[in-house]
Amino acid sequence: MSPLERKMSCKDIAPLLVFYVCEEVSGEERARIEMHLASCQACSEQLAEEKGFHSTLLSAPQSADELDGSGILLSQCRSELEEALDDLSAPPLEEHWRPFGWLRRWMALRPVWSGALLVLVGGLAGAQLVPWLQQSSSNTGQALNVRARQPLTADQLQNMVVSGLSVSPSPGSDSPTVQLQLSAEQPMVLTGRADDSNVRQVLTYVVENSERFDAGVRLDCLDALKAAVRDQQVRVALLNAARKDQNPAVRMKALEALRETAGEDDVRQVLLDALEHDGNPGVRVEAVNLLVGSLDNRPPDTDTAREAPEPPALAVVPPSRTSDEGDASFEHVVKVLQELQRRDPNPYVRLRSAAALRQIGPREMQ
Amino acid sequence: MQLLRWAFALTDENGCSGRSDAALASVTSLPNLDERALVAEAQAGNRAAFEELVRRFDRDVLRLALNLMKRPEDARDVYQEAFLKVYRNLHRFRFECSFYTWLYRIVTNVCLDHLRRRQARPEDQAPELSPNHRDEGISDFFERQREHRPTLDPERSMMGQEIKARIAHAMERLSPRERVVFEMKHYQGLKLRAIGDALGTTEETVKNSLFRATRKLRNELGGLR
Repeated sequence: MSPLERKMSCKDIAPLLVFYVCEEVSGEERARIEMHLASCQACSEQLAEEKGFHSTLLSAPQSADELDGSGILLSQCRSELEEALDDLSAPPLEEHWRPFGWLRRWMALRPVWSGALLVLVGGLAGAQLVPWLQQSSSNTGQALNVRARQPLTADQLQNMVVSGLSVSPSPGSDSPTVQLQLSAEQPMVLTGRADDSNVRQVLTYVVENSERFDAGVRLDCLDALKAAVRDQQVRVALLNAARKDQNPAVRMKALEALRETAGEDDVRQVLLDALEHDGNPGVRVEAVNLLVGSLDNRPPDTDTAREAPEPPALAVVPPSRTSDEGDASFEHVVKVLQELQRRDPNPYVRLRSAAALRQIGPREMQ
Repeated sequence: MQLLRWAFALTDENGCSGRSDAALASVTSLPNLDERALVAEAQAGNRAAFEELVRRFDRDVLRLALNLMKRPEDARDVYQEAFLKVYRNLHRFRFECSFYTWLYRIVTNVCLDHLRRRQARPEDQAPELSPNHRDEGISDFFERQREHRPTLDPERSMMGQEIKARIAHAMERLSPRERVVFEMKHYQGLKLRAIGDALGTTEETVKNSLFRATRKLRNELGGLR
């Protein structure tokens, strides 16, 4: 039995009628459907119904006919498409980047609004900017308070500027409290005792680098360092200042700071050098006083020098307490003082030298 | 206007028209070229060839779009979007199917996208135009002119409009894909195989969609004969 001869039931035919009407069945299916329809009244009626429905759908006016029966919409579409294709085909404009181009365009089109906006922006900027600038400038001057804990680096020291220094006595301590206002990488206030290593470091650096710091600052530093004269680093700085500082007041202050150690060799040598070579009479007088004080083991009395008359040439004998080395040193001091008494260009220095010679052990010169 | 455009197209960058003879021959013979040659010309960058391709198919495309979208502005969007896609992607067309099928694949996809968007956000869409509202809502000169065509038979038109309104209402019940299949089959006259090609699916699937669509419409339209 061929497939064509196989009979289709109504159940098989029903779904195919839709496609049979719109001619979407194969030749074989068509033959079998038609064979069935020839003998089935119900399916034939269903087919007629399907055809009627189909023709109704097809005959109903379509939206396209209704909406664009004249073809105007099609023309519009073509025109729009051509414009769009023109845009696509056009080479891109080489427009240079212009910052705030949109803002410029907006402002160009709305001059009144732009003016108002600029005034508003200017007002707001002024109101906000001025206090901010004031705050930022005050921030710049605000110093960092450092409690002298970390030593300053070499770079910091080299770039350091001392903008203020105050020395105040510390209760219950010989070492005064020092407050240094510095500008290094950033402003800072360094507070601590004079014998505090960090403070001492800064003070000695100032004293040793006389060319970089003001004489007043150096004097203040010497004042503060006086209490730490036993420290080797401080002493070296003071000795150098007494020898080399270009300012006589500083040299004098350095000598004064060395008072406690005036009996020691290195200090005494500096004092003698000052007597022989320092060009400033005040420094020489100070050196005389310190020498006498160190030899006499008592503070020099400057007032007696002023009252004393011009003495004759004196012969002095060293005190019994000096050793052989001390004798040599003592003799050297006496020689220098005698030389000073005779030749110093300054009368007061000569006067003071004579008084010193008398003070340390007068002996009539033969 | 088109002639003017072609005249410009013949002028090279330096304002010379040295290749005018060959190009003119090419332009004038474009309507006589078969589809394949025309596509090849368009792929080579010949704008006139592309426009000729558009003219060959755009009437059907717009018709499909109007029938599916039911709104001129939506149909216009579909038309524009579809042909711009074709223009941008023409270099990818490898002649593995007919250009017509490839074009319809793009058009139906664009239509489906629009229909799905409309289904997802019906509140964003303007109401579809019913014939009764046309005079009230549209003030466009051309639209008004069309209503006054003397060839329209008022009685026939009224009956037709009623049936059309019922069909349009019933079509709303269909899914976008069923709607597209039904439209392409009954109003575009495409074979199921071609519809399957356009939609990128099998003929069997399209058959199922058409069957479901017909059933739904029959249920909705009831005794419509």
